[in-house]
Amino acid sequence: MTSRGANALLSRAIRMETKLKSVLEASVLEIEDVSHQHAGHAAVKGSEGETHFNVRIVSPNFDGQNLVKRHRMVYDALADELQSGLHALSIVAKTPQEVAQNK
Amino acid sequence: MARLLSNIILKGIGGYPVANSARIISGSSYQNGMKYFSTVPNDPDTHEDFRPSSKLESHSLSLKDIVEQDVKDNPVMIYMKGVPDFPQCGFSSLAVRVLRHYNVPISARNILEDPEIKNAVKGFSSWPTFPQIFIKGEFIGGSDIILTMHQNGELKEKLKDIASSVEKSE
Repeated sequence: MTSRGANALLSRAIRMETKLKSVLEASVLEIEDVSHQHAGHAAVKGSEGETHFNVRIVSPNFDGQNLVKRHRMVYDALADELQSGLHALSIVAKTPQEVAQNK
Repeated sequence: MARLLSNIILKGIGGYPVANSARIISGSSYQNGMKYFSTVPNDPDTHEDFRPSSKLESHSLSLKDIVEQDVKDNPVMIYMKGVPDFPQCGFSSLAVRVLRHYNVPISARNILEDPEIKNAVKGFSSWPTFPQIFIKGEFIGGSDIILTMHQNGELKEKLKDIASSVEKSE
C-alpha cells in the first residue's frame, strides 16, 4: 500500500484504473469522470469533484458471476476510493466471451 | 414458496389503491418509535390500512431490524436519494423510472434525510452506493442492474406476481 500522500497526487481515475487492472485483470477498461453531471447534487456538496464515474470493464474473472457479484467485485477493488469520497459508479461489467458474442 | 410470498403480499398491501404511486417511508426518531408516513399523491383513499404493516412502533428495534422489516414487508423497496416524485440523483431517478414501467407499488426511503438508515442499509446489503433496490426481500442491486434486468426481461419476470396480486386485490 502506498501512502495516502502519494495517492493524492494522482487523479482518482488513474488510481481506479490501476486497482481494477491489477485486482480484476481487466482486458478492457474505460473510466470516465462524470462528476460534473452531478455537481450540486445533494450528497456531493462540499466535496471537490471526482465523485461519479462511468466504468466499463471486461474481465475473465466475471465468468460465472451474476451482475450483483460482478458489481461487488468492482466495489471491493475500489473500497478505498469509496471510503474517500467516491459516491457512485455506473458499471458495465462483461466477460470477454460476452463481448465477443455481441459483436 | 411462491404461494407463501403472494399471501404475504396480499396481506401486506391488500387493496393498495394506486399501484403506480409510491409510498414514502420515513422515520426520524428511533428513540420515540418510528414514524411512518405513506403518501399516495392525489389519492383521497389513502388510509392507514395501506401503511406498511410492520411492528415499527416497538421501541427495541435496531436499525438493522428496521431495514429487515422494510424489505420483508414491502415487495418493492427502494432506498434512494430523494423521493420517487422528486429524486435528487440521476441514478435514483433512473431506478424509479424503470420500476414505474411495471404495475407495482413502490416503497421508498430517502436516505439523504436519514443518515443512520443509510449506513444500516449499506451494512445490510454490503453495497456501498445508492439507490438500492430490494424485491420480495431479495437484494437486486442499483440502477445499472435494474436497468439491465428491465432490458433483458428478468425484471418483468421478478415483478410478475406482485403486479398480478395487486390487480386481483383491486
